[in-house]
Amino acid sequence: MHDTERPEPAEPAGPSRRRVLAGAGAAGAGVLAGGLAGYFAGQGAEAAGSTSDEVVPFYGAHQAGIATPAQDRLAFGTLNAVSGATAGDVRDLLHAWTRAAAAMTAGRLVGEDTRPYAPPVDTGEAVGSPVSRLTITIGYGPSLFDHRFGLGGRRPSALADLPPLPNENLDPDYTGGDLCIQACSDDPLVAFHAVRNLARIGMGVVEHNWMELGFGRTSTTSSRQRTPRNLLGFKDGTRNIKAEQASLMNEYVWVGRETDQPWLRGGSYLVARKIRIFVENWDRDYLQDQQNTIGRVKVSGAPLSGGTEFTAPDFGATGSDGQPAIPAHAHIRLASFEHNGGTRILRRGYSFTDGIDPQAGTLLGGLFFIAFMKNPAQFVRLQQSLAADALNEYIQHTGSAVFACPPGLRPGQDWGASLFA
Amino acid sequence: MHKDGLGEERRARGRPAATGIVALASLALLASACSSSHGSSGSAASAHTSTVTIDLTPQGCAPKPAKIAAGPVQFNVTNTNAGAVSEAELRTSNLAKILGEQENLTPGLSGGFSLDLQPGTYKINCPGASVQHWNFTVTGKASGASWQSNPQLAAAVSSYGSYIDQNAASLVTHTQAFCQAIDAGNMAQAEVLYPKARVYYERIEPVAEIWGSLDTEIDGRWENPVTVASQFIGFHKIEQLIWADNTLAGTPKLCSALVGHEQQLLTLVRRAQYNPLEMASGATDLINEAATSKISGEEERYSNTDLPVFQANVDGAMEVVGLLQPYLQRKDPGLLSQIRQRNAAVATLLAKYKASPGYDDTGYVEYSTVLDPQRRQLSTAVNALAESLSKLSIQVSS
Repeated sequence: MHDTERPEPAEPAGPSRRRVLAGAGAAGAGVLAGGLAGYFAGQGAEAAGSTSDEVVPFYGAHQAGIATPAQDRLAFGTLNAVSGATAGDVRDLLHAWTRAAAAMTAGRLVGEDTRPYAPPVDTGEAVGSPVSRLTITIGYGPSLFDHRFGLGGRRPSALADLPPLPNENLDPDYTGGDLCIQACSDDPLVAFHAVRNLARIGMGVVEHNWMELGFGRTSTTSSRQRTPRNLLGFKDGTRNIKAEQASLMNEYVWVGRETDQPWLRGGSYLVARKIRIFVENWDRDYLQDQQNTIGRVKVSGAPLSGGTEFTAPDFGATGSDGQPAIPAHAHIRLASFEHNGGTRILRRGYSFTDGIDPQAGTLLGGLFFIAFMKNPAQFVRLQQSLAADALNEYIQHTGSAVFACPPGLRPGQDWGASLFA
Repeated sequence: MHKDGLGEERRARGRPAATGIVALASLALLASACSSSHGSSGSAASAHTSTVTIDLTPQGCAPKPAKIAAGPVQFNVTNTNAGAVSEAELRTSNLAKILGEQENLTPGLSGGFSLDLQPGTYKINCPGASVQHWNFTVTGKASGASWQSNPQLAAAVSSYGSYIDQNAASLVTHTQAFCQAIDAGNMAQAEVLYPKARVYYERIEPVAEIWGSLDTEIDGRWENPVTVASQFIGFHKIEQLIWADNTLAGTPKLCSALVGHEQQLLTLVRRAQYNPLEMASGATDLINEAATSKISGEEERYSNTDLPVFQANVDGAMEVVGLLQPYLQRKDPGLLSQIRQRNAAVATLLAKYKASPGYDDTGYVEYSTVLDPQRRQLSTAVNALAESLSKLSIQVSS
């Protein structure tokens, strides 16, 4: 990459790791909003489901967009290095991405556009849009550590393509990638703008591999958030790890000393699965069978063993017929940590649609599953357990990728220098 | 340029000045450090454009006002009742050069042109009026350094004009040869000569597009710009008849009209003047063309001869780079080497599809044999080249 095409946004005036100015543009006065401290202390505001001036700090011990209370919208892109790209190109790209991501997540443009005879540095569609808690999270796929960029010695041993898993029929067009960008915001345009601009900056070094837009979150990652519903019509994420549960985050989400690659400590693994839901078939299933398939009451979200949404499921409970109240093949049973030796992950998925299946005329859509974990083996174990999932009749995994997301940055640091150190 | 709104606007006004730079709205998207809306605190400013009104009358073409400040100028020309006058030109004060013009304005029609004017004295000329020459003065300071005073840019612009002229001339002669084959009823020969003529147009298309109706008449596709049979008369109509309908019926007349339009184009380009910004944006436009209508195969959808015209787009763009090279070597050698590198990547990919004599003697394989994964590679490489070329415009403007 060449210097002239690198955007040079000004460094943030003062977003510290602990607090950030928010709302100044709209309200005309600086307001201190809960930053990292707020989220981790359980003081963060419930996502209002609408756009706002709230800024999520870009810098911190961990990348934003993992423990951040799940925003309403997702733009997810994976990219591959073009043939001929060099290690220097990738390093420079990650440097440029860092600057651009820091600017965009602070609600600034990628660069100033004051020169009438230059193509605008920023594509412009988010001008005037509140930043709406935009986070940009990047990750490195296993293929980035092959022979091309001299990164073989930097590959974490846990970072490898996932093994073949039950109920998948993967489309190569939605699989893998050297790099990923997860942009989340309460405003879909702001999230899309982030991926578009980072991809544009990368032109000549990386090219799009695949991209997905998520239109509704399907998880809660904070105890302050209301549990959303997925396209099955069921509440999703009731038992998810919450950012406030620091010990669970450390045990299951953040990479720690166990990794063989110190650069990844404080990072996390991102597993993305594009899961098609055959909604027409699902919608024809009778209510009790839907509930038996999931293991919960559809409207209330309560487990079939009784109680309310947040009552712990009693997998040993039996009904009046002597059968398990939560059926043996119910989704929440097979996916539960109780059933998987304590294994947990932080789910952060979104509903998606790609329109209509041109062959079948049915809806192409479902769950764009994203989860963060200390080791991809956690997902593999859970997905293998789900081989017997009653829900498999209605879903199919059609896309898959795994990425190592580096830890957070301090001001002055950048992703490129950290990876190629 | 087909989908460029700015280009459409230029065309709609008829024959705008080749020297004219349509004033671009200058969006000053300045974001303050503490705002959390994207650019919400930025102020938007736009370059100030002066407007000059010219009413064509039997007596003349007095500009109103006759004196303006330097910068972007929009000339609005109207002919209410002047039967003998149909044109207004902006010329240098010695009348030697046409800087901008609106012609073909019969009574009741209006049009205009726009350009960026430096201080000095000019003439408004309206052939056929009782007073033909009218004084026009531009005051104030020159806006930035003028490219004319830079010998490297001036030389590049001059050579660019020659390149355009040569290709327009070759377009005419090669199309005439194509027509001869058609007139002789030799379809096989016509198939071979079609792409040979096309490449000359595809090297200079952004210039030809300045005269919008000619671009449609010569190069219009069925769907672009409009699905109107009476306007689908150029190369691609003949292409459709030969390759899709397998007939030469009707093609002699179409081909003869095509040559006529090309001759009009040749006359116009020989009189036209260019500037470095047009060269630079033209290079990007050419590669954008390659990246969209050539990669998809829609440009030559009947004949499948997309590869030679893809090459022609690249050649036309790289000609601009070559002409600007002495300037760029000083101004931005890094950009120059990046463009060279990315062009080499495109050339390496294109070379995979070279063949001798090739499909229809084009030197390339038939484009339908280039499958999607291979088109994707070409697309990625050509987009990277276009991205680099898009950075030329600011380098030649500041």
